[in-house]
Amino acid sequence: MNDQEKPDTSRRGFVQLLAGGAVAATAASALGSLAPAGGAESTAKQSRIQYGMLIDTRRCIGCHSCSVACKAEFDVPLGVNKSWVEYTEKGTFPNVNRHFLPRLCNHCSEPQCVAVCPTGATYKRPQDGIVVVDSGLCIGCKYCIQACPYDARFLNPVTNFADKCDFCIHRVSKGLLPSCVNSCIGGARIFGDVNDPESEISRQIAANAVTVLRPGKGTEPNVYYIEADITEEAENSDGSYRVRVSTHRSIKERR
Amino acid sequence: MHELNWGLPVILYLFLAGLGAGAVTVSGSVLLRKGGFHDSRMDIARYGALIGPIPVMLGTFLIVFELGQPFRALNLFKMLNLSPMSIGTWALALFIILSGLYAICFIPRQATWPWLGKARRVLAWLCVPLGISVAIYTGVLLGAMPARPFWNSPILAGLFVLSALSTGTAAIMLMVALFGEKSAEHREGRENDQYLLVSSDALLLGGEMLVIFLFLMFAHLTIGDVRHAVEVILPGGSLASLFWWGVVLIGILFPFVMELFQVVPKLLYGRTFRSSLVLEVAVALSVLAGGFALRYIIVVAGQVTGPTTL
Repeated sequence: MNDQEKPDTSRRGFVQLLAGGAVAATAASALGSLAPAGGAESTAKQSRIQYGMLIDTRRCIGCHSCSVACKAEFDVPLGVNKSWVEYTEKGTFPNVNRHFLPRLCNHCSEPQCVAVCPTGATYKRPQDGIVVVDSGLCIGCKYCIQACPYDARFLNPVTNFADKCDFCIHRVSKGLLPSCVNSCIGGARIFGDVNDPESEISRQIAANAVTVLRPGKGTEPNVYYIEADITEEAENSDGSYRVRVSTHRSIKERR
Repeated sequence: MHELNWGLPVILYLFLAGLGAGAVTVSGSVLLRKGGFHDSRMDIARYGALIGPIPVMLGTFLIVFELGQPFRALNLFKMLNLSPMSIGTWALALFIILSGLYAICFIPRQATWPWLGKARRVLAWLCVPLGISVAIYTGVLLGAMPARPFWNSPILAGLFVLSALSTGTAAIMLMVALFGEKSAEHREGRENDQYLLVSSDALLLGGEMLVIFLFLMFAHLTIGDVRHAVEVILPGGSLASLFWWGVVLIGILFPFVMELFQVVPKLLYGRTFRSSLVLEVAVALSVLAGGFALRYIIVVAGQVTGPTTL
């Protein structure tokens, strides 16, 4: 499933092989790349493509087309999901409401999973800002799974590698939309380049009140929501206001 | 409950690597102690050097096989980046090699050849900082993630170092008590050894108490994620009984009080240090059990708690 990354992977592998002989050289390059960005680098950061998604929860009906399309697209093993939907039910009859919150990897601009990966297997692609996992380098240490504030990652039970949504690189690179966007019957998902002010997603982000998930973690997510209901079950602690958050995932808790 | 991605092999690794690195660090420090090195201290340096590498290697074996594909772990050596796990891997690999050599240097009891004593000292200079690195990096590794509020504290690394050194000291204490020279002419040397070990361990346990107090106090006084996370070990939390009975009482308070009873008469009133085999073994075992319980609590608590708001 990661064939589409092959050319990039081999180039990285080659560079790392070169550097592998001299640990000090590798360390120097790693330190250099992590140094605070100068003027030139920050301009480059602004001008490059950063794919993102805008999810209009008002148009989501909780039908799981996205979940199923994603499962079919990647043959995701049973019990794990790259894309899932959470239901938030709250209130007391007859004053009740139910909201849907579609979830996927946020392809953060400051991805913590990338910062902690010891082998460089997970990285943010410079050309389009998609955070990917190089299964050739991943050792399955699960550090990235611990570090992700969104629980978007999981250990693939078949391959034993870390796995997650990759914005359907194989489709996007051929000019198609990601599978979940393509299959959304409510048209709730808009996919595109958030760095291009003329793109549909940028115009919608500018025209609507949008939020990201857990902004306080400093990850700068690139998946935006319109009217996301982020009520937590913990808010139910005194019992006066009923909240139930449920999902079809095997991992029931939010993180 | 959240699923535990890091289970018993990782917990055992944190405990065993800390213990081994602590034992080698204590051994090297005693060996290098300026001017204070007598033959009587040889047992501490020797047992620390001999037992240190074994738990480290065992723990490393456990985490490498926990990956599912053990040979994948070699990918770690293709690069060095700023991930605590990457730095820790290199430190651990160097430590295993050098502490292994250090241990080999201690197989003959006496340094019969002059180069052997020198080799011991050179390796001790290398093993002490590496041992500290191996003991500290696991705490940095867990502390580096804002997504895990229970771990996300700089003081966690300090707690891990203190716990590693105190479990390492306890392991040496156990070895000296069980296998040290017991003949009458070595009696004084042996009691000197035990006094050094017991008083150092009491100091380390005191430090651990201070760090745990600071950890709990700051977590409790704050609001939000960290406070919510730390409630899991405060009274009423799901891990509270293991924490308070296992870590605080058995792992720290009991050995600390016992060690004070042994140390205070000599320290304050200049009386001769008296110890008993049963007490030494009991104290050492309770420190080791507490060290394991501490790693267990921290690894599990970090994974069953998370940020409170989406």
